[in-house]
Amino acid sequence: MSIRLTDLTKRYNEQLVVNRVSLEIRDGELFVLLGGSGSGKSTVLRMIAGLTTPDAGKIELNGRDVTYLSPQARGVGFVFQNYSIFRHMTVLENVEFGLRIRKTKSNERRRRAEELLDLVGLAGLGARYPSQLSGGQQQRVALARALAYQPAVLLLDEPFGALDVKIRAQLRVSLKEIQRQLQVTTILVTHDQEEAFELADRIGVMDTGRLIEVGAPETLYYQPDTEFTATFIGGGNVLVGRKEDKWIRLGSVALPLPPEAAHTDNGAPIRILFRPERTILQSEPFQDRAIQVLGQGEVIEQIFAGAVQRIVLEMEGLRGVRAVAPRAVYGQSVTRIEVIQTGARAAENIFTLGQKVWVGLRDFHVLDPAGLKVLICVSQDASGQLAAEMGSLLAHATHGPATLLHVAARPELAAQARDYLETVRRAFAAQLPGLDVRVRVGTSAAQILLEAQEGHYEVIALGQSASGDTGFRGLGSTARQVLEQAEVPVLLTQTKRVSLKQILICTRGGEPGKTDVAFGGRVARRADAAATVLFVQTEQTTPEEQKRAARHLLQAEAALAVQGVRGKIKILDGGIIENIIRQADADDADLIVIGAQAPRGRPRLRWQNFATQLVGAAARPVLVVPMNE
Amino acid sequence: MTMTTALKPSRVPRGLFPVGILLAVMLPLILMPLASIYVFAARSGLEGFINAITSPEAQFALRFSLLIALLTAIINGGLGTYTAYVLSKYRFPGRDALNVIVNLPVAIPTVVVGTSLLLLWGPIGILGQFLVPLGISPMFAPAGVLLAHLFVTFPYMLGAVKPVLDELEVTYEEAAYTIGASQLEAFRFVILPALRGGLFSGALLTFAHSLGEFGATILVSGNLPFRTQTAPLYIFAQFEAGNIEAANAVAAVLATLSFVLFFALMQFNKKSARA
Repeated sequence: MSIRLTDLTKRYNEQLVVNRVSLEIRDGELFVLLGGSGSGKSTVLRMIAGLTTPDAGKIELNGRDVTYLSPQARGVGFVFQNYSIFRHMTVLENVEFGLRIRKTKSNERRRRAEELLDLVGLAGLGARYPSQLSGGQQQRVALARALAYQPAVLLLDEPFGALDVKIRAQLRVSLKEIQRQLQVTTILVTHDQEEAFELADRIGVMDTGRLIEVGAPETLYYQPDTEFTATFIGGGNVLVGRKEDKWIRLGSVALPLPPEAAHTDNGAPIRILFRPERTILQSEPFQDRAIQVLGQGEVIEQIFAGAVQRIVLEMEGLRGVRAVAPRAVYGQSVTRIEVIQTGARAAENIFTLGQKVWVGLRDFHVLDPAGLKVLICVSQDASGQLAAEMGSLLAHATHGPATLLHVAARPELAAQARDYLETVRRAFAAQLPGLDVRVRVGTSAAQILLEAQEGHYEVIALGQSASGDTGFRGLGSTARQVLEQAEVPVLLTQTKRVSLKQILICTRGGEPGKTDVAFGGRVARRADAAATVLFVQTEQTTPEEQKRAARHLLQAEAALAVQGVRGKIKILDGGIIENIIRQADADDADLIVIGAQAPRGRPRLRWQNFATQLVGAAARPVLVVPMNE
Repeated sequence: MTMTTALKPSRVPRGLFPVGILLAVMLPLILMPLASIYVFAARSGLEGFINAITSPEAQFALRFSLLIALLTAIINGGLGTYTAYVLSKYRFPGRDALNVIVNLPVAIPTVVVGTSLLLLWGPIGILGQFLVPLGISPMFAPAGVLLAHLFVTFPYMLGAVKPVLDELEVTYEEAAYTIGASQLEAFRFVILPALRGGLFSGALLTFAHSLGEFGATILVSGNLPFRTQTAPLYIFAQFEAGNIEAANAVAAVLATLSFVLFFALMQFNKKSARA
């Protein structure tokens, strides 16, 4: 391995810019880091070069740990977007600079520099000054300069970003050739997909500081694991179906489930990707067995774009099927897909708007299941066991990845904690094969919140044990702090449940109430559970508020229906806590979802008290959803 | 381009009248005073002129002035460049305040600078009251003149170098680091050469200002012939004593020196603008 990054992390003013990036790059590979602006790709490159110091993690170059070495000691070649060639030096002096610093003899220096200028296509221009060169030529000088001292790795930060399209294409070809010839391990950072595809042996896709997926260009294009990659790279249709034995159910259409798709339970959502150019349109029904028929669609848009023809179709047969991409247009009721016809088909197959045509797929790809990402906080006692059981139940029901976290108070306790987590992990391995394990050192609440932020978790699961005969005595200090500061929902478990089939969503009228309905609905949809939305009116509730609440509940019902959740709504009179408990008992709810509102600048104190009371009184798991004003 | 050329009026205004007004104003304001120095210098003839500038007192004043100007340019050259580098490269609390402070000497009247130096280093000054009894007394001594000149001319070097440094991208230096240059090597081989133009014009400006400095010098030097008397002070003293010829000869030399420096600077700027 030429380059190995382990859990590389960087924060700027509390903002995570690079989030635990781990990556291995092979000798002689041309690796491209692809991501939008602010994805952290350039920061990763700068950390490898030593221009930015990581907050955590390790960087190894050719087996040598260089994490805290100065840039000078690393021996990397770096090419900047703005060229940064030394303007008071001639081209030759620029290229020789690295050798001059290394005290190479002048004739050897000259020979090597001439050789490199020849390689980058600037032979004979050595005596010129940078101001006499074009942008493309300057970047060639920068490349030669970075290669002159035979660096261990070559790093290029958006090297073609400042150049015009034609020059960019030429330079790409040159770079690829030079890289092949010298076999120097290279990382190139870019936001340009075309560039990434043309150059890369492998591509790493980055988003908000995380390395989402790594793979060969074709794999990332046709068989990505994640939804992000599927929608970020190229245009694509991503539809959400449900598993039905050996089939994927999409409205009235059923596609065969590929045997290699990750195992999921019946009814679980399955996201499929098909690229617009892997579809076939024709006016007659398909005879070819190899083609998966998606039914008939109505042509609603047809755009001629030279070599290709882009067509948007409304698929009546897919009505009600959620499309991740193309993104639904506001007011659209029927699922739309995008098709691209190329070559002879684009020229011959011309349809009229409104025409019904048959849509077939040459192939499609099943994305990895993405459920709720759950952080299960395990302590070595009864409450930890509760958190583990309910957290894994939630993760299992929603098909999400989960991580077991233990916070050790002191570093010397970490190893023992890891052993403990390992036993817990094995206990749940059958239910959750992908269960992850993590140990952090420090104060419980602070470390839990940090881990939740860094790992982009969607739910934090905490256990609250009823200690012996005294019963439940309120939330522990860790739970209180996590509840106060968490930006994601917190699951508090006092009594375990065996399944997740019935969810009670307690809501308030109006805008803030939508947050917990939406999240509760998401849990219900993923877990295929039924939901009750409850509004409790007290004596203080004004007629105005009652009216608003009634309207809100109707909207909530509609929102659940759109998500495909079986739901009902309920309005009760009287005390809030008593009514929630009564309804939960009536439904035998497995989970109570409540919203916690944080008044601006103040902690969610009142709600925290409320949550505490509810957790104590309900003897059922409570999911507290933070609501943002 | 052809469009705009075509639209331009073909008749270029001759503008004799406005130029005439300008000359009429400039003549008594600038040109005639300058000319009169040389007219008076020439009046006593070449021999008188040479005698006037070779008198030991005049010789000392001229040489002392040149020496102080040279030292000022060298010291402030280094100091100003370093200040510019720190201010341009590092971000720290109070950076904006410091940026204002280092440029302050331009705004302060030179007489005030002289007074402030006396109040610090002089026999009754804040530091002076302790140092003077120990025999350390920069005031009314050559060192005091140098201190005054360093103070007054400090911003010129900074003003010439800092804009160039600000314009250099951070990556310029970073490129040198990744190539293997130490911070010192990066400064020596990469930053400094890029500053050449700024350094040269800054040093010339500093030198020229130091050569003509009067307000602060007259206060801190005590105007002691053969010890602290610079050329401008000599001219002032000779005028006061009624030796117009002696004063005028040195004034002519000083004016000529200034012209030469000024044209050198102009030529250099023109050349670097073309490059």
